[in-house]
Amino acid sequence: MSVSHTRRVQILYKRALRSLGDWYEYRPRYRYEAVLMRDRFDKNRNVKDHREIEALCNAAEQELFETQHPQPRKFPESPGGVAYEREVIPPDWILDYWHPLEKAQYPEFFARREQRKKEYLEKWDVEHGKGSNAH
Amino acid sequence: MSSILFRCAALRSVYKLSALPKRAVSTFTLKTQEHKHKSVLNVTSNYLQILPIRCYSDKEPLTLKLIKERVVLVLSLYDKIDPEKLKLESHFYKDLGLDSLDHVEVIMAMEDEFGFEIPDMDADKLNSPKDLIQYIADKEDIYE
Repeated sequence: MSVSHTRRVQILYKRALRSLGDWYEYRPRYRYEAVLMRDRFDKNRNVKDHREIEALCNAAEQELFETQHPQPRKFPESPGGVAYEREVIPPDWILDYWHPLEKAQYPEFFARREQRKKEYLEKWDVEHGKGSNAH
Repeated sequence: MSSILFRCAALRSVYKLSALPKRAVSTFTLKTQEHKHKSVLNVTSNYLQILPIRCYSDKEPLTLKLIKERVVLVLSLYDKIDPEKLKLESHFYKDLGLDSLDHVEVIMAMEDEFGFEIPDMDADKLNSPKDLIQYIADKEDIYE
């Protein structure tokens, strides 16, 4: 069994379990079906022939496609979920690109920010050793 | 634009500073309680002092310690892992004797516990409880 094949089976197994989770809301029922699914995977554990492995994987993927749920469950903030990328957090470096006139409106904040940057660089030097100054 | 950005950053820093215990009790229930049990209120006024912070549907803020406890709890409840052998550095395959499908189950248990999806690309590299804790902390932006 090659590494890529192991990964293929892993991905297949995960998708199969998630598909069962879509269909069976009741947790004990889902666990029961999951154990049966695990048994189906374990039965073909010792298959060595490459052609047979390929055929089994293809058949399994076909079955998974045919039995997929119309409204699969997704985690809200993961890809496909309802809240995915809902909250956009602006990256910190944007503050460095403000116009000086804009920065001048918040002098205290930016003074402290410069101070914090200096402290961060010093901390970096202590933790990782003094780097070269050639930037 | 810039002022909005600034306000976001400022609000976030204020939110992070206020590491006070939050209680999700809406003001509505408070008022009705006050009205009904005025005498009780005098006695237990200490108890009813509730901070004016509302979490809406936000979760309790995580810490590294909390993440570690939850990861270890989930792992030690898994029937194929011996809780006595479980250490933070132990490798799932080498030390704990799991196979690749068990690893998938562990990753799925973590997804269910922390409520976000772990992509297959990242799941390959998570080979010990320590890696899992670090990954979850990075994802949730927890560093202390």
